[in-house]
Amino acid sequence: MNNGLERAKRRKNLFYERMKFRKLFIIGLNLIIAFAICGQQAISNTIGMEFVQVPAGEFVMGKFEPTVSRMVAWGSNEPVNEGVYQEGLKLARKDALPGFKVIISMPFFIGKYEVTQAQWRQVMGFNPSYFQQAKVSDSADLHPVENVNWKTVSRFIKKLNKLEKGKAHYRLPTEREWEYAARAGKTDDISWAEIQATAVIAMKSTSEVGEKKPNAWGLFDMLGNVWEWVNDFYNEKIFADAIPSNSGKQHVLKGGPFYGDVKNATYMTHAGGPGSGYDAGFRLIKEDTANEK
Amino acid sequence: MKNKSARVFICCLWSVLSVVAATAQLPAGFKSLWNGKNLKGWHLSRSSHQGTTADFKLENGILVAGQNPFGQGGVLLTDKEYKDFEFYLEVKIDSFTNGGIFLRSNEGGAAYQIELALPGGCGDLIGERIGISVPGRAATRDLVWKKEDWNSFRIRMTGDVPNISVWINDRLMYEVRQTKNDFIAQSTSGKIGLQCHWTSLYSTAAQSELMPLDSWRPGAVQRFRNIGIKKL
Repeated sequence: MNNGLERAKRRKNLFYERMKFRKLFIIGLNLIIAFAICGQQAISNTIGMEFVQVPAGEFVMGKFEPTVSRMVAWGSNEPVNEGVYQEGLKLARKDALPGFKVIISMPFFIGKYEVTQAQWRQVMGFNPSYFQQAKVSDSADLHPVENVNWKTVSRFIKKLNKLEKGKAHYRLPTEREWEYAARAGKTDDISWAEIQATAVIAMKSTSEVGEKKPNAWGLFDMLGNVWEWVNDFYNEKIFADAIPSNSGKQHVLKGGPFYGDVKNATYMTHAGGPGSGYDAGFRLIKEDTANEK
Repeated sequence: MKNKSARVFICCLWSVLSVVAATAQLPAGFKSLWNGKNLKGWHLSRSSHQGTTADFKLENGILVAGQNPFGQGGVLLTDKEYKDFEFYLEVKIDSFTNGGIFLRSNEGGAAYQIELALPGGCGDLIGERIGISVPGRAATRDLVWKKEDWNSFRIRMTGDVPNISVWINDRLMYEVRQTKNDFIAQSTSGKIGLQCHWTSLYSTAAQSELMPLDSWRPGAVQRFRNIGIKKL
């Protein structure tokens, strides 16, 4: 009996030990999976640029439903002349645009922040920015690089790709990728309250990157601080075409500058170069070297 | 054949008269800033919050500014930049429009601005996307303003810390000396611009108090002629 009891105890202990091992195994496995997911969602490169993975998905681009105010003045309860309002409604309906669907078929990594002055200097050996240390009270190294045009940005990317050869390939986002990442799942335009919370606007200079609230996918300064160059040619229209232009005098700028307004610091704004020098910077997309061309 | 020749003659005459209309009235010493035929020497800002697609067009030798599409304005800028200058132009503006003459503007339409708004502070000096140290008020404008007609503006701007004087129909409205250069990046030169104000957002998702239609009534325009500059 005693032997039988002992055998039963041993079996029970063995069972609990196995259960404990299984629990530890499951916890460990979960940790490995979590680590792997985290590793996929946010990575950095050898010069400290951080990238966030955005998921595949779709959105409607260039949908235009012009608003028409009823009021005669800001803050007034008095309605505008009815004939004027009806004429406004008529024109708003006439000029409205349905937009077009954009499908992002694969997840991609995009810069968590705008490229900074320190990162530019590390790659290029000089800093072209206007708002360098003598012009700002905080750390200029952490301000976005500016005073860069599309061509100089291309030179930076070429040099960075050389430095990171075999590890990763970098490029400017397309306008679609940029807007998709900036929307972070939003199907309509952004509210003014959200712009105020996330964007550096109505200022006299750039700010350190990452000072405002990030968007829902953890990206900072998509709106405000500096205009961001994207890869597309500018089409001289209010919004991008369903088929992007393959030529043009300038390239597209997105996001709005530090002196911008809630009117244009929205992810829908489709602006074009040359910008004013000190108001234009960029962020990058990071791809596996397998995608290198 | 005779009809065709007559048409060609009338077209040529019209072009010549248009150019004459656009250039003949400049005060002595001013160089015309536009040719009356096209927008050579000017371009639309592609990065202004007012909009990037406003309709600046020529009609019978006159420059006409309107929104395009509905609710979207814009800023027409000179290709060249100016520092110390006198600027002259004549304007005929519809009631319920809000435009402005931009001085030392950057490419994004941040500038010192002389308001061209009716009703409102037409002729006043304010800032556009910049705060300015000392505004100017055209307090005696109504003494010389010609309603629904052409009115002339002469603007003098000089100095690293700007000193700005404005005359409407040859009457001095004010001379304002700024206490500092309020411009972004301390710029001391920039483009001349003509503004057409926005009234519409892209969508009601903005959840904001909307810009009143009386800031630029549907279909309203501002007209400009005899645009010239004298570098100092």
